[in-house]
Amino acid sequence: MPSHEVVVVGAGLAGQRAALAAVEAGRDVALVSKLHPLRSHSGAAQGGINAAVGAEDSVDAHIFDTVKGSDYLGDQDAIEFFCREAGPTVVEMEHFGTIFSRSEDGALARRPFGGAHFPRTVYAADRTGLALLQALWERLGSERFTLYDEWDLTRVVVREGAVQGIVAFDRKGGEFAEIAAKSVVLATGPAGRIYAKTTNAHSCTGDGIAAAYDAGAALKDLEFVQFHPTALLESSILITEGARGEGGLLKNRSGERFMSRYAPHVLELASRDVVSRAIVTEVAEGRGFSGPYGGYVNLELMHLGEERIESRLTEICDYARRFAGIDPVKEPIPVYPAQHYMMGGIGTDIHGATSVPGLFAAGEAACVSIHGANRLGGNSLLETLVFGKQAGLAAAAHAERASAPSLRASDLEEATAPLRAWSSRKDGEDPSLLRAEMQQAMAVHAGIYRNEADMLEGLRKVRALKQRFENVRVVDQSGVYNLNLTDALETGHMLELAEVILVGAYARTESRGAHARTDYPKRDDARWMRHTIAERSPDGPKLSYTPVAVTSYQPTERVY
Amino acid sequence: MAEATVSVPLEVYRFQPGRDRVPRYQRYTVELTPHTPVLSALLRVRAEIDPTLSLRYSCRSAICGSCAMQINSKSRLACETPVGPEIERHGRIVVEPMANQPVVRDLVVNQKPFWDRYESIEPHLKPDPDHPMPVGRPTSMSPQEVERFHDTPRCIACASCYSACPAVGADPEFPGPMALAKLYRFVVDPRDGGHQDRLVRIQASGLWLCLRCHLCTDSCPKNVRPSERIRDLKEMAIAVQGATEAGSRHAVGFKENLKGAGLLNEMRLARATLGLGGFAGQLGQGIRLWRKKPEVARRPHPIEGMAELDQIYAALDKGDEK
Ligand SMILES: Cc1cc2nc3c(=O)[nH]c(=O)nc-3n(C[C@H](O)[C@H](O)[C@H](O)COP(=O)(O)OP(=O)(O)OC[C@H]3O[C@@H](n4cnc5c(N)ncnc54)[C@H](O)[C@@H]3O)c2cc1C
Ligand code: FES
Repeated sequence: MPSHEVVVVGAGLAGQRAALAAVEAGRDVALVSKLHPLRSHSGAAQGGINAAVGAEDSVDAHIFDTVKGSDYLGDQDAIEFFCREAGPTVVEMEHFGTIFSRSEDGALARRPFGGAHFPRTVYAADRTGLALLQALWERLGSERFTLYDEWDLTRVVVREGAVQGIVAFDRKGGEFAEIAAKSVVLATGPAGRIYAKTTNAHSCTGDGIAAAYDAGAALKDLEFVQFHPTALLESSILITEGARGEGGLLKNRSGERFMSRYAPHVLELASRDVVSRAIVTEVAEGRGFSGPYGGYVNLELMHLGEERIESRLTEICDYARRFAGIDPVKEPIPVYPAQHYMMGGIGTDIHGATSVPGLFAAGEAACVSIHGANRLGGNSLLETLVFGKQAGLAAAAHAERASAPSLRASDLEEATAPLRAWSSRKDGEDPSLLRAEMQQAMAVHAGIYRNEADMLEGLRKVRALKQRFENVRVVDQSGVYNLNLTDALETGHMLELAEVILVGAYARTESRGAHARTDYPKRDDARWMRHTIAERSPDGPKLSYTPVAVTSYQPTERVY
Repeated sequence: MAEATVSVPLEVYRFQPGRDRVPRYQRYTVELTPHTPVLSALLRVRAEIDPTLSLRYSCRSAICGSCAMQINSKSRLACETPVGPEIERHGRIVVEPMANQPVVRDLVVNQKPFWDRYESIEPHLKPDPDHPMPVGRPTSMSPQEVERFHDTPRCIACASCYSACPAVGADPEFPGPMALAKLYRFVVDPRDGGHQDRLVRIQASGLWLCLRCHLCTDSCPKNVRPSERIRDLKEMAIAVQGATEAGSRHAVGFKENLKGAGLLNEMRLARATLGLGGFAGQLGQGIRLWRKKPEVARRPHPIEGMAELDQIYAALDKGDEK
């Protein structure tokens, strides 16, 4: 059985940065990923990464903007650490070889992003994630570690209160296998595919968050789900906020820049939750457009001129032309909000430590919490790198102290027994059907606007789907690259998380950041300035609450 | 008004080595609007007709590089190839795995050789002892210096070029277009300290195996234009070293073999041997020029070695005409 001191699961920016830190600390490291590292979803990030490197900007301004953006649910001690690390992190990535866009004086170019006081978002054209992912993979690739490429984590094995290793499915080999480890870092990224409309890749199914939950780790603030205001209609492919940063305008059916009514000072550059709700309201109140793929508003770039659009927003032009048949130089882009980011995740401290000894987490799968109730654009790429490194260091330090892990053959047996039942039954439901029903239910019952009755109905549907999942059937009898099996695994993970989202959202009787309840439209700091903690129990998620760390900024009303 | 759907006839390559004796083509028909990408058509097949169909995909937005496959015999990204024009042109959509890579199952190929060749060019920044990275701040780089990368940073490693490249199939030591475009990216990077060694090494290990057929550039979904960057590498290599005899001999021999045998994939070239010693001294000049002021080092200004380069090209092109 393979054994490593540190096993990092997930090879996006967070996982790679964790692996690099653990390798540099001298540990024997394995990197396990269901996609080749360069195919991770981090590569899809377009807009940029925040760092207060401009002369007019300051770390304090970055801290304040992040606290305010979080609607005061972000932990201020963690945010301070995070913003202080921003400059050094971006410099380090530049030294690793990232090809950033530059200003005439040779400095890192910056663009304005929503919710920020100054242009603070460092970028690489409109493919910042790809540029960072390439550079980090180049840097990590020159070190020694073991890559388990196209292996799907299915379980984290915890015994005697500590991590012993993982069970994973080797797609190409077609077998389940155990990998022993003293420390496990979960950096498995987003879970957007829980929703019908999402900007996330097909692979973003929250596997690591579900595995942590299954292993007894506490999840935090999962009900806070960010919707990006501007996604293409049919595919929900993201049109980056950079488009508005460059000067793009949002207009309704009568040609009005409607953001002037929702955020009179910053208009299109208001925080994402504000813009998303504005668009949904415009459409709901009949001021939007309607078409075969539902209601929408227009994002106009034409006035920026062909040269600027083509050079600064190359990828977006490609997307609009290829995936929506729209030429942004000549016509507006129809857009509508789609699920984009999970603020919540596996609860960690600033060292990536979870509630289970030896289990660490970082990146979008984790919740420190920096983003609180609402993430600011450009802060999550930064989060993957800052906290990926911390988690890698902490995992390395833990591995140095921990005793040898003990995995048994029965661990593999136990983890795979239910999966073997999926493949051997003669009738049952296809996982993709259950997945589609869950995605619809979540879009309707746990979307941008929420209320008690809707969420109860959603919970009823999700619990019924969980029941039906007991009878899921995998018809593909071959082990090798069996997507029918991985579909089923992912669907099972997402159903668990869907339930946690709904239960947490139902309990939280207030509106804060991305969690907007029509029946409780006000933020309620006296009762709800606290984090939701969800742990698995036989009767479903067990909720408890922990306080928010406040250092410098007392909550005030959030206006833009 | 909803867009009208069309009937999409798919013929999909199905094969699992070790289980199936021979590959077969399976027909599926789905109803979709013409602008629907081939990937969505295949996912529809998986969800509604046949969950055993295997393929790689993730982002569905042409950025992760997972879904390259041959669509009506051309290497493309399935997620950005609409079904309508394919049906108009070919009457059906034949979907096959990429070439030059062994099949794992159906449309999934084993990419290990592709990644190994990528690794062979040492794809990471090497420290430059003369110009260490500034402490605590980013390297200064002008927008013009950034432009020198051309479109190489857009590469998503989808391997379409690798699939389309005849030299990849012919010679296991040819790094392939993607790897060479990557090499170019390091050679022109003002932060890299390994540029001279990189050029000398690549002359000896495969640079001249490129046939200049431009199929890589044709097949690239991101407009990286590997063949143009390979041309640049050849010019730069000659500028620092002159065309090495072994390198050019190998290139011509390669072309001859191709022409004569016509059995591209079976062919195995004898490796030219090249002495790597004795060059170190005079290498610096040409490449520094290139990195700082490309307009000085590039055509039409005559540079050392240019004549040789043109001779080689002429020789190769003459071969083409026959
Ligand atoms: C379209 C889009 C644009 C964005 N733009 C920006 C931006 O401009 N700025 C910004 O700051 N943020 C942006 N974000 C958010 C940001 O990109 C993500 O939050 C971040 O990249 C997540 O990185 P990660 O390393 O946590 O996860 P990922 O990069 O998603 O990596 C997850 C990794 O886990 C692996 N994995 C998943 N499940 C398993 C499993 N079961 N077993 C093994 N491995 C597994 C995957 O293979 C992958 O390697 C954007 C997000 C989207 C969707
Ligand atoms: S699915 Fe990512 S490139 Fe096509």
